[in-house]
Amino acid sequence: MRGVPRKPEAEAELRKAKRLAWVSMAYILSTIAMLFMVMAGSQALKTELSGELLSLVPPTLFLIGDRISRREPDTRYPFGYERAVSAGYVGAAVALLMVGVYLLGEGAMKLVTKEHPTIGGFPLFGHVIWTGWLGIAVLLWSGIPAHFLGRAKRAAAETLYDKTLAADADINAADWQSAGAAIIGMIGIGFGLWWADSAAAVLISLEIIRSGWTELSTALGDIMDRRPLTLDSKENDPVTDHVTEFLRRQPWVDDVVVRVRERGREFTAEAHVVPKNDEVSVEQVSRTGELACKVDPRLADVTIAPVKELPEDVARSRQPVDA
Amino acid sequence: MLRCWCVSAICLFVAACGMPRDPEKTSERIASTHELRVGVTDNGEWADAQSTEPRGIEPDLVRQFAAQIGAHVLWTRGSEISLVHALKENELDVAIGGFDKKTAWKSVAGVSQPFAETTDNKKHVFLAAPGENRFILTLDTFLTDHMRASKAAQA
Repeated sequence: MRGVPRKPEAEAELRKAKRLAWVSMAYILSTIAMLFMVMAGSQALKTELSGELLSLVPPTLFLIGDRISRREPDTRYPFGYERAVSAGYVGAAVALLMVGVYLLGEGAMKLVTKEHPTIGGFPLFGHVIWTGWLGIAVLLWSGIPAHFLGRAKRAAAETLYDKTLAADADINAADWQSAGAAIIGMIGIGFGLWWADSAAAVLISLEIIRSGWTELSTALGDIMDRRPLTLDSKENDPVTDHVTEFLRRQPWVDDVVVRVRERGREFTAEAHVVPKNDEVSVEQVSRTGELACKVDPRLADVTIAPVKELPEDVARSRQPVDA
Repeated sequence: MLRCWCVSAICLFVAACGMPRDPEKTSERIASTHELRVGVTDNGEWADAQSTEPRGIEPDLVRQFAAQIGAHVLWTRGSEISLVHALKENELDVAIGGFDKKTAWKSVAGVSQPFAETTDNKKHVFLAAPGENRFILTLDTFLTDHMRASKAAQA
């Protein structure tokens, strides 16, 4: 199947991931509707609501991106459409950052001007109860199921090697933190501490800024063809080393530089190979390329370019980064 | 671990009974001084501030509310803007004068639950000192009960 790593479980996992994306959207919409009803004058709940609205973006991008990125290459996009998702993510991450900064400013402003949030009564089944209790109940709904949804997405993301899904999973899994901050804010208001609400709002907006920043740097890195990183983005993915080692082991290879780039869930590799002598057959080269492709299930294509000596820029790609 | 959770849950529950509290202690002040400070601005049948004792739908409601919480009303007359400013500075507890739920003052003052809905779909409310949530909850309960009672009377 196009655009999916060559693993037996990948297709089933993709179906599961899509189902999870739909479930997420329904769940987020339910949270938004309930937050809207109970947010009253609370800045923390308003911030949480904005965060929820923004968290609709990743599952939407996942569903749309999956359709677009599967399109076959054509003359206009000769490398295919896999990068569409990365492009979408740049926009989404910028939006996340800007909204985060705006909300941070708003929350800080309310702290400075000592604005006392008004949260009064809510008529419910013939009684009037404090809206703050309802707020806390909605926040529990927004935090706890999200955590498990995030864990399920994470598992699917790892099988599919889907970074956008992984980022989405992380956001969901971290949702309990912002929900928790908002709950503490509400309890603070309950105790008559007017500043607790704005303080919680500031914390939540910082969380929004943080995830916006992480997503932006990931998306920009993708577009700039940074060396693939492992899914948790902590270290270099070993795929480059594996392909290099494989090619070095070939009897006809003297020197090789492998450059791998990510295209959505897949990798493409480009290998400049200096053969030991001039007698290299086309058969040998294309066979080696096919075999190299099997080194990692995520590799969609390995291009082998036999060269007399390594081009300067290609050789430079072996230089370590100046610390 | 479990015991720790139980203890904190009980603590939270006990503390929760008094929640929400007023940051500026409006409810406690009314309970001790028995004074409800109300600002009134002229607005047709809703509030007539001209006479010595304000008259109209809203002043009557205010007196009922004051009686319920065991307080008497201290009236202040003024323009909308001066009343809202006084609410924000905690010099007044309530302001009336035909405000509805979509009032432009809702970002500055606390807005109560509606006590009446007119045929033009306006939901009429009181304004209250912002963030005095225990007091506003008491007021909301009173006004919601009034709304229910008048709806029941109509039906």
